[in-house]
Amino acid sequence: MNHLPLTRREFIRGAGGLGFLAFSGVAPAFLARGAMAQTPAPERDRSILVIIQLAGGNDGLNTVIPFTNDRYYNLRPTLGLKNGLLNLNDNLALHPACKELHQLYGDGKLSIIQNVGYPNPNRSHFRSTEIWETASDADTFKREGWLGRYFDNECAGNPEADSIDADPTAIHVGDMIPQTYLSEQSHSLFGMNYKGRFDRGDDPADLAYEKLLQADHIEGNASYLQHTMMNTLVTERRVEKIIASYKAQSSYPGTKLAQSLKRVAALIHADLETRVYFVSQSGYDTHSNQLHNQERLLTELSAGMSAFQKDLNAHKKDDQVLTMTFSEFGRRPAENGSGGTDHGTAAPLFVMGSKVEGGLLGQAPELVTDVKKDLNYSTDFRGVYSSVLDKWLEADSSKILGEKFEHVPFV
Amino acid sequence: MSQTTPPTPLTFAVEDAWKPLPGGFWRIEEAQHFLRRVGFSASPEAVTAALRTSPKGYLQEAFQPGAKMQKTEALSEFEATLHERYQHIYKEVEDEEEKRQLRQEIQREENELFRSFAMDWFYYARQPEHSAREKFVVFLQDVFVVEQNKVKDTPLLFSMQQTLREGISQNYPELCKKVSREPAMVRYLDLIQNTSRKPNENFAREFFELFTLGEGNYTENDIKEASRAFTGYRIKERYEFFQQKNLHDKDPKTVFGETGNWDGDEVIDITFKQPAAKTFIIRELIKFYLTEEEVPEPYIEALGEQWADHGFSLSYLIETFFQSRLFFHPAYRGNMVKSPIHFYLGLCQDLRLDVAPFEARVLRSMATMGQAFYNPPNVRGWLYGEHWINSTTISARRQLVDYLFASLNEKKLNGNEQRDLEAARKADRGDFLVTKERLQKVLSLAPDDLATHFTTYFITAPSRTTYLEALQSILGDTQDEGAAKRVRYAIIALLQSPAYNLC
Repeated sequence: MNHLPLTRREFIRGAGGLGFLAFSGVAPAFLARGAMAQTPAPERDRSILVIIQLAGGNDGLNTVIPFTNDRYYNLRPTLGLKNGLLNLNDNLALHPACKELHQLYGDGKLSIIQNVGYPNPNRSHFRSTEIWETASDADTFKREGWLGRYFDNECAGNPEADSIDADPTAIHVGDMIPQTYLSEQSHSLFGMNYKGRFDRGDDPADLAYEKLLQADHIEGNASYLQHTMMNTLVTERRVEKIIASYKAQSSYPGTKLAQSLKRVAALIHADLETRVYFVSQSGYDTHSNQLHNQERLLTELSAGMSAFQKDLNAHKKDDQVLTMTFSEFGRRPAENGSGGTDHGTAAPLFVMGSKVEGGLLGQAPELVTDVKKDLNYSTDFRGVYSSVLDKWLEADSSKILGEKFEHVPFV
Repeated sequence: MSQTTPPTPLTFAVEDAWKPLPGGFWRIEEAQHFLRRVGFSASPEAVTAALRTSPKGYLQEAFQPGAKMQKTEALSEFEATLHERYQHIYKEVEDEEEKRQLRQEIQREENELFRSFAMDWFYYARQPEHSAREKFVVFLQDVFVVEQNKVKDTPLLFSMQQTLREGISQNYPELCKKVSREPAMVRYLDLIQNTSRKPNENFAREFFELFTLGEGNYTENDIKEASRAFTGYRIKERYEFFQQKNLHDKDPKTVFGETGNWDGDEVIDITFKQPAAKTFIIRELIKFYLTEEEVPEPYIEALGEQWADHGFSLSYLIETFFQSRLFFHPAYRGNMVKSPIHFYLGLCQDLRLDVAPFEARVLRSMATMGQAFYNPPNVRGWLYGEHWINSTTISARRQLVDYLFASLNEKKLNGNEQRDLEAARKADRGDFLVTKERLQKVLSLAPDDLATHFTTYFITAPSRTTYLEALQSILGDTQDEGAAKRVRYAIIALLQSPAYNLC
C-alpha cells in the first residue's frame, strides 16, 4: 500500500496509515508527532466567516438606490434606476437584480451596512484593495492582511496544525492567496479551483511523486517541504472527495461565484476545522455599459448568496456561518459619458446569516449637486471588521486592528 | 538523518570565516553549491567550466561592469512621446469622452509594454552568462522595492532596474543616492509629495528601515528630520528627475545627532556612519543567498567591518561573500527554498529549454507561484524561504513542471499564443518543452546509473542517497516496454520533489 491516507482515521489506525508509516521504515519526525497526538473532538459549533470580494469597485448608489432623491436622478440621467426597484424602506431600494437578497432582507437574514469607507479615500484599485485587505489607514502601510493578523494572534502555537491532516486554517477559491490572508507567521492555507481538480489518485505520475515524497528527508526545509506537499496532497484529495459526495440542498446556478460557494458549503457541512473562507467575483469596474454589466453581476451575486444560505439552512449549518461582502470602493455619484461610472469612495456592503440582526445599518450617503463631488463615508470599514472579530470570531479586534473601532451592530 | 551542525565561532573561527575557500576544496560539490546559489543551476558542463577557473575568476567574469539589457524600440518610443501625448490630452482635447479614450489607449499600451519587458527580462536572465548578475538585481529589487501596481510606468521600472544593475559595481551609499533620484522610487515612496511645507516621511522611514539600518536603529525624530532633507525632489516631463530649490527645506536638521543644512545626499552619508549600516545589507544578503537561520553575530560584524573599510563597495562584498569559507560551509548546502524565479529559470537551464514564448502563461505562472514580476506584496518585498511554500504555490510549481513535459497542441492555442509562437519561431528561439525524443536518449543507461545520473544532475548532495532507492523503483527495467513512460514520470516527480525545490 503506497497511497497517502485520506483521512486522519485512516492515517492513524487504518491500513493506509500503517502502510504509509511502514513504507519508509522510519517515520519523519513531524509524522510521528502527528500520529501520537490525540484526535481532538471536532468542534462542530465554531463560528465561520465567508468573505466575498466584489473586485473592481461595486457601484453603491445603484445597489442601494435613493429613489426619492432628485439629486440621484440629476447625477445619473441615463443610469438612474426607476423600474422594478425592491424597496427597503420609504426612500431606499435594492437593485432590481437583487431579488433573493431582498427576500433575505425581508426575512431578517441580511444586514445592509450603508456608505462604508474610510478617511482620505484612495481611488486606485490596487491601493484601495490593499487598504481594505490590510485594514490600514489611507496613508499608512500594513504588511499583513487583517485575517492574516487574526491567524497570527489566534492560531499560533497550535500543535495540531503540525499534524499531517490537520484542516487548513483558511481556504480560498482561486489560484492566488488573497492579501487578506498575508501573515507574519506561516499558517496552513489551502487554495482550490472553483471547478475542482481531476482526481489523479492512480495516475502513475502521481504515484511516482508520492513515492519520492515518502523518501526520508533531512530536517529543515526539506522536511518542511515534504510536510507541506503531503499535506497538500492529502487535503486536496479529502476536499475533492468531500465535494464530490456532497448533496447540496438548494440549486446553485452554474456561475463561478455560485459554484465556489457550493464548494465552501460542502466543506462547512463536513465539519472542517477551517474558520475562514474567501471567494471572489470580479468585473465590477463598470466604466462603461454599467446598466447591463452591473445587472448581470448583481444577479449572480444575489442568486449565489441565496443558494448558499438556503443550503446552509437545510443542513442546519446556518447558525454557524456569517457571509460578508466587500469591494475596494464605490463609484462616483455622477455618471460619466460612456454609460458608466468612475472610481469613487464609499459603498454599502452586505452581511448575511441566520444570526445577523438584519435591516439597514449606518447612515445613507449624502448626495450633493456638484458633479465633481464624491461621497463622504459614514461607517468606517474597520468598524465592520472589529464587529466580526470581536462578536463573531471571538477574537480581540484592538490587538488585530491596532486600535478600537466602533462596532456596527449587525451581530 | 542529521544535518551538519551550523558553524559557531567556537568551532569555526571568526577570523577564518570570510577568507577565501582554499584551492584544494574547490571540487564538484562546492562548485554545484556555488553555481546554484550565485545563479540558477549547476549543469555538468557549467560545473566543469567553473572548476577550470576559481570562484574569484568566475565572479569577476559574471559580475563584469557595463552590462545592459537592451531597451526595445517600442519602449523607447513610448517614453519619448508620452509627455507630449499627455500634454495633448490635457491641453488640446476638450471632449471628456475623447480624453478618456486616449488615456485608456495609453494605459493599454503601457500594460503591453510592461508584459513584454517582463518576458524580455526572463529571456535575458535565463542566459547563463547573465544569470548571476540578474539574480543579484533581483536581490537589490527586494531591498529597493517598487511595485508595478503602484508605479504603472514601464520606462521608469526599466530605468530603475538598470540603475540597480549598474549599482552592482558601485559602492552602496552611491547606489542609495542614485535610487533616491530614480523617478520610480520618487513616486513609489511619495518623495514627490515631500515639500518643506508638507513633509512626507514615507521615503525617509523606509530608507532607514529597509535600505540601510533596520528597525530599532533610528528614532522617529531622525525620520522627521531626515525627511526634511529629502524635500524638493521632483520629476519633469514624466521621466526627468530634478531638485526644485524653493520646495527644499533649507533650515538646519539634526539627524543622528549631527546638525546642519543637510540635503538628501548628506543624510545618506551620515546614515552610513551609523554602526548598523555596516551590517544591515549583509544580513539581507545572508537571508537571500545563504540561510534563513540566524548566523552568529560575530561573523556578521566581522564582515561589516571589512566592508566599511572598503568603502561599502558592492563588488568587494560580492567577491568576499561568495568565495568565503562560511559560504561553502556544509551546513548551508542544499537547504534553501528556491524562489519562483529561481525555480522557473533553473528548470529552463537544467532542462536546456528556452523560456516559453507564451506571455500570459509564463507571467500567470509566476504570479500563482507567488512572485509576479515587479509586483511584490508590499514595500517589504518578498519574504523568501518557507514563505514561498503553501498548498497554492506548491500546486503551481507542480503544474509548471507538468507543462514543461506536456506536448504542444498547436490547434488548442488561442490567437495570442499562436502569434507568440510564430514570433518565437521567427526569432529562432529554442525548444521550450521537453520532447519525447530527448527522454529516449537516456534509456541506454541501466536503472542504477540512470537514478544516479538524475540525482547528481538535478538535486543537491544531502538528498541524493535517500532519493536513489525510490527513483530506482520508479524507473524499473530501462529496457522493457513501458520504460520511456516511467522515465518521464520519474523525472517529473523528481522535479516536483522537495529536493529539487531546494538548492
